[in-house]
Amino acid sequence: MKLNERSVAHYATCDSPADHAGFLRKRVERHHHPAHHHGASYQRRWFVLKGNLLFYFEERESREPVGLVVLEGCTVELCEAAEEFAFAIRFDDAGARAYVLVADGQAAMEAWVKALSRASFDYMRLVVRELEKQLEEACKSLAACRKSPQKSSSSSSSGRKRHLSNPALQPLQEKPTTLENGYSTWSSAGCVAGGATCTDHDGGQTKPPPLPPRRRSAAGSATGSPAPGLSPAMLESPVSPETVCFSKLHSWYGQEIAVLRREWQERQKRGHP
Amino acid sequence: AAPASAPLPPGPAVLKKRLVKLVVNFLFYFRTDEAEPIGALLLEHCKITKEEENVFSISFIEEPERKYCFECATEEQCQEWVEALRRASYEFLRRSLIFYRNEIQKMTGKDPLEQYGISEEARFQLGAHRQ
Repeated sequence: MKLNERSVAHYATCDSPADHAGFLRKRVERHHHPAHHHGASYQRRWFVLKGNLLFYFEERESREPVGLVVLEGCTVELCEAAEEFAFAIRFDDAGARAYVLVADGQAAMEAWVKALSRASFDYMRLVVRELEKQLEEACKSLAACRKSPQKSSSSSSSGRKRHLSNPALQPLQEKPTTLENGYSTWSSAGCVAGGATCTDHDGGQTKPPPLPPRRRSAAGSATGSPAPGLSPAMLESPVSPETVCFSKLHSWYGQEIAVLRREWQERQKRGHP
Repeated sequence: AAPASAPLPPGPAVLKKRLVKLVVNFLFYFRTDEAEPIGALLLEHCKITKEEENVFSISFIEEPERKYCFECATEEQCQEWVEALRRASYEFLRRSLIFYRNEIQKMTGKDPLEQYGISEEARFQLGAHRQ
């Protein structure tokens, strides 16, 4: 089966950080004795885990991997091989070969098993979906809190402030750049930025950032109405069920910032004729 | 996974009819009557570009001028594919996770990853994986 090998090799060896790396001994599988452990031989390889891909190289400095294991639909378990610190990657598909790997010690073995068993794309996707839901719920309950009379006086003054704590977030142009795979590696100087790269700037903050602005309540709906000046068709509330996509969430905030800026600028003009 | 359709794969002027299937961060392509894929594209460090009507392309960071072009049956299908493919990389998922984690933490003061026992993992830290 063909693969875009050059791109794969590039991904394996480029300086995007690996999720885990180290030497492991890999059991050599003999086709005629697949389960025959006696007299098995092992090859020492340099293993690099990136995402759901486990690459292995002949040497640490090798420029191309000699193999790749795609970690989907697999289990990682401790192994009763003759070797100590051995573990195996096995696949649901019975016909697929297992990979028996041997670590240098107990700690290394545990670290690898932990890293590999959480490496799948499916697992990540599950976690991301859960977090999306949690964020929705957090926004909803925040909006609900905000509606209560005690909060309104403090919220109205802070509502107009820049609500995303990231100072580097630029207002989006009319057509927000959508996020693409490997976006951060492609970004030119004018990075509008996916949320993750922006929020990196928050790392240095010591106090909790200001809360998102109070939504203008409309008919008691938890999601609020769109900010003025933007057509309802364009906007989806960040907490509505339709906003399941990270890039939509990002562009929603961006649009709101653009509106807030315009309003601020207009007020400035009026205030300073 | 996106629905399988029949966009056409790369090649200078020749377009061949293929069945294309997105599974996690791989795009598999098949001859329409075969069960085994002819090949696959790993969708990491790639750029999905909407080209002319019904057409999108995939190119990779280390060889940006080389485009794998796909022609869809309809423009709507084309948009669906572009959306799906742009979200198909592991790196995209990872960035989404970090984003949501941070937003939830800001709002609630709690780290949502603690319940999964993965809050300490280097791959989920803010500032991780910046290029």
